Amino acid sequence: MTKTKTNPYLEFLKQNLVLCGIVVLIIVTAIAEPKFLGTSNLNNVLRQLGPLPFAALGMTFVIIGGFIDLSIVGIISLVGVITIGLVDPLGQVGALLAGILLGAFLGWLNGLVLTTCGAMTQAEVLFITYGMSSIYTALALIYTGSETLRISRSEKSISIFTTLGSTNIGIIPVVLVVFVIVLILMHLFHRKTIWGRAIALMGGNKDAAYLAGFNMKRTMRLAYAINGTMSALASIALLSRVTTATATSGANYETNAILCVVVGGTTLKGGKGSVLRTMLGVVLITLLGNCMNMLNLSTYMQTVMRGAVLVIAIWLDNRKEL
Amino acid sequence: MNAKANVNKVWKVISKQKAVVAILVLMVMMLFFDTTFYTAYNWLDMLRSTAILEIVAFGVTVAVICGGCDLSCGGTLCLGGIIAVMMVNSGIPIPIAILVALLSGAVVGFINGFLVVHQKTEPFIITLGMGMLLKGICQQLTDAHPLTCKSKGFMQISNMKFFGAVPSLVVYMVILFVIFYCLMRFTSFGRNCYAIGGNYEVAKYSGIKVVPIKWAAFVISGVVSTLAGVLLSSRMNTGSSVYGDTTGMLVNCGVVIGGTSFAGGVGGMIESFIGLFVIQLLTNCMNQLGVDSYYQRLCEGILIVVIIGSDCFGRKLKRERV
Amino acid sequence: MEKTTDYILEVKDICKYFPGVKALDHVSISIPRGVVYGIVGENGAGKSTLMKILSGVYEKDEGTVIFNGETIEHTTPIQALRRGLSIIYQEFNLVNTMTVGENIFLGRFSETHGMKGTHKKAKELLDSIGSSISTTTLVGDLSASEMQMVEIAKALSFDSKLIIMDEPSSSLTSEELKKLGIIINQLRDKGVSVIYISHKLDEIFEYCNIVTIMRDGCVIDTKPVEELTRSDMIAKMVGRTIENEYPPRAHCVGEPLLEVRNLNTHKLHNINFTLHKGEILGLVGLVGAGRTEIIRALYGADKVKGHQVLLEGKEVKIPTPKQAKQAGMALVPEDRKREGLILPFSVESNITMASLEDLTHMGIVDSSKEADIGKRQIEALAIKTPTPETKVVTLSGGNQQKCIVGRWMERNPKILILDEPTRGIDVGAKFEIYLLMNKIVEEGGAIIMISSELPEVLNMSNRVLAICDGRITGEFNPEEATAEEIMDKAIG
Repeated sequence: MTKTKTNPYLEFLKQNLVLCGIVVLIIVTAIAEPKFLGTSNLNNVLRQLGPLPFAALGMTFVIIGGFIDLSIVGIISLVGVITIGLVDPLGQVGALLAGILLGAFLGWLNGLVLTTCGAMTQAEVLFITYGMSSIYTALALIYTGSETLRISRSEKSISIFTTLGSTNIGIIPVVLVVFVIVLILMHLFHRKTIWGRAIALMGGNKDAAYLAGFNMKRTMRLAYAINGTMSALASIALLSRVTTATATSGANYETNAILCVVVGGTTLKGGKGSVLRTMLGVVLITLLGNCMNMLNLSTYMQTVMRGAVLVIAIWLDNRKEL
Repeated sequence: MNAKANVNKVWKVISKQKAVVAILVLMVMMLFFDTTFYTAYNWLDMLRSTAILEIVAFGVTVAVICGGCDLSCGGTLCLGGIIAVMMVNSGIPIPIAILVALLSGAVVGFINGFLVVHQKTEPFIITLGMGMLLKGICQQLTDAHPLTCKSKGFMQISNMKFFGAVPSLVVYMVILFVIFYCLMRFTSFGRNCYAIGGNYEVAKYSGIKVVPIKWAAFVISGVVSTLAGVLLSSRMNTGSSVYGDTTGMLVNCGVVIGGTSFAGGVGGMIESFIGLFVIQLLTNCMNQLGVDSYYQRLCEGILIVVIIGSDCFGRKLKRERV
Repeated sequence: MEKTTDYILEVKDICKYFPGVKALDHVSISIPRGVVYGIVGENGAGKSTLMKILSGVYEKDEGTVIFNGETIEHTTPIQALRRGLSIIYQEFNLVNTMTVGENIFLGRFSETHGMKGTHKKAKELLDSIGSSISTTTLVGDLSASEMQMVEIAKALSFDSKLIIMDEPSSSLTSEELKKLGIIINQLRDKGVSVIYISHKLDEIFEYCNIVTIMRDGCVIDTKPVEELTRSDMIAKMVGRTIENEYPPRAHCVGEPLLEVRNLNTHKLHNINFTLHKGEILGLVGLVGAGRTEIIRALYGADKVKGHQVLLEGKEVKIPTPKQAKQAGMALVPEDRKREGLILPFSVESNITMASLEDLTHMGIVDSSKEADIGKRQIEALAIKTPTPETKVVTLSGGNQQKCIVGRWMERNPKILILDEPTRGIDVGAKFEIYLLMNKIVEEGGAIIMISSELPEVLNMSNRVLAICDGRITGEFNPEEATAEEIMDKAIG
């Protein structure tokens, strides 16, 4: 291998492709449609950020661990309807906590099923989590009878859900503040704690980490439990915004979450990645949607765009070296 | 010792024919209920309802035998139907319209093949992304509204009856089954597919042109999916972007349930037919027994997890045997 | 018969280089028609590399190959087959999920006129070598010897003039071996030449006409088999000039530290041994004899039941590597890249990963202590890396190995298990690893070392166990025993 002289600008571009993408996107759209930089639109973008970042955050851990999880569709739906259902017996705070716990449990259950079966390859994981997702969605359907559940507002004038969903601090929505706190905590979890390390090591080389004395099964369950918890938070963010929940409200979150993670630069091969990068992915995808809205492109084109971005991102990820 | 060996032997046979066992169990179970299950009409109806999925499965099986996987078949199916309906509506003769639809499937398969075979990406996630992309294209094409076909002739294709009673879809299914069965069983292409899936390196060293053959398998999968899409649109007399949402997962699960493994090299058309039929049979039994559709979905999820999970579990036991 | 003087294959001055190693060094052999030609040598002598060049899997770097009178510059596996040169690998080149008949004619379906033709021709071929395997069974259901028959039939289907058998006996029972002998004789009578590669000298003496002995990528000697004795052959296989390749042996063996009793799996039979404090225990055996399985079972990496492990006189249960680590054991695995390192991670994280638990307080890893450990081990083992943050994949083999050793050194293990610790490492780095081993035992640790390099075991260890077919077949004091004696037991 001969060492060619690398262009430092090109290197920078390669390293920060997503960031550059975001900047270019903002500049181009701002020129084409000046309203893009207006406060009302900014507000709009911030509000759109609601549930997806949470889902992407959880998915990051599973993907860093070298696996994938399609079951968040089911978890988001089920947690949403159960949380609303529990508001009456447990009160709002109780329902909220119960919802998060339920999410963690469902995620852990995924991990348990996977470790018991000894699922190793992406294919096995993909299909089993899809099956789990069907089960969770079906449970949600059985629970609601396909009715739309609403948060009852009778008991208190200010509800914790409406605070989360539609109150701002300045121009920043409360849910975003919550998210940033969670993001920082999860970043520290990934970088500073032994559990975060174990997940990354598992993604890097399962056999080596096992022989170095890590409990791989427990680590795998942990990664899925984190994803479940984050999906529950996503679900709560969603139901706070729309004040309703249905048994299918989680639809499409799995592909969008994977999309954000991969676009952010976390490799599907496992091991390498960071939650902060995933957030860049979320920002890019959300902005892309907003830009296309501003430029009056149809929402369907957005799906096309997302699919194309996902395929291309996976392709580029595959071409990346170690 | 002897008894144990016998038990092992029986277990080995059963674990290979899980789907057949499932069918037998369901059939025996239905004996105890007073339903219309055991009528010729019901069985013909089952065959007709499952025909579309079966046809998709035939194509996908070719890709899976080669060691690939095609989750984009749902999107491809949707696309094929819409293109055919649009062409027919704009006055193009039906055969040409169908040909163009099939061509679109070939293009999708070609791209999948390029990404998976030539660029060596993991087939599962990339075809999932491809499915999402196609979905968007379908929505864009139809503006997410169902597209009614104006031609009577087009509707006839899937709604005719042969010999007075046999639905045409069943006939098509049988014809395609025979074609694919012969293709995989008696041609050089088919046998080479098995070799490639069974052991890629050995196939390569034996002088089999591995890349073009595997690539062709993806094209076949795409074309067959669009064909199924055309038939579905003809059956419903509409092209709609809501078709095929769960097809990708369902078909691939069905293929695995039948005994065609994602590891490649094993299985075949009969297995895939049975695998998909199990899903249909389960649905039919539950319909006959008046099971709530949500519980049906639950059972479907459990079926997927149990069958794919037990597949993994078998491999785990094999791995751990030292 | 004029033909016997004619050579089917002539190889002249072939060289092959791998990064950092000269795998073949001016190797020349000539193989007459209709003989069984033996090639013997230790693991890593270059036999397999030579065969892979002949069959077109590797490219040669220098030299000429003349096959059947034709000079061959460049070949692919399928071209080699079509010319009439077949090779039967240790790991069979068969598709397990397909039938016997189809495997024999793999990729040639159109030439055999369909399934019936395939099975018919396959049956004829199998009959011709006296095998009664049904052509419709799946290869995955066959025993190892049956698979061998299928490979031979496949070779014959190409009308092969030369068949190379790489370690054909390693997975055969003695009964099956006899059958193989008969077939080899049949092939010879048909005028087909056979290259028979094996460690097992008895077989070489029984089947072969001419033998070439290889060592360290060179041909040491070629002689008709009648002119060689068993001890000659072993001496030529193992005899290498021992200079100052090894540091002086450590002598600090103390009281028993670890006792293993009744270790049985379907591959291991009745393994019992004791390891003492300050001892280096060498395990010697052929590849596949069960060496790695013993230490994996001991370390809890494989699930094994029924055996007893006593550590310092107390019985301990070690179901997983985690418990092994807590009991003071450490494993440096054989396959560095697959089981040892996390390649895309930094040198530092590869070193610290086993000690993370000790640096953790309330779940938080103390990263300054972690950096200290990284630096300390990089210095202590003189790991050549630009920074601790460098990705471990960019390091040389020796430095990568030191990272794994450093990972465990940080924990001061009581028992260090080294599986092929110096494989693929240059001489300088080897010496450093030997010094490290001495240091560990001097500090009271004990080492179990698996190695395919006999001189290494002889010079480093205090005691040697020979292992063959999953059994301990001999125990030696390396200061008294000769390489020949140990090899004799390990070959079985």
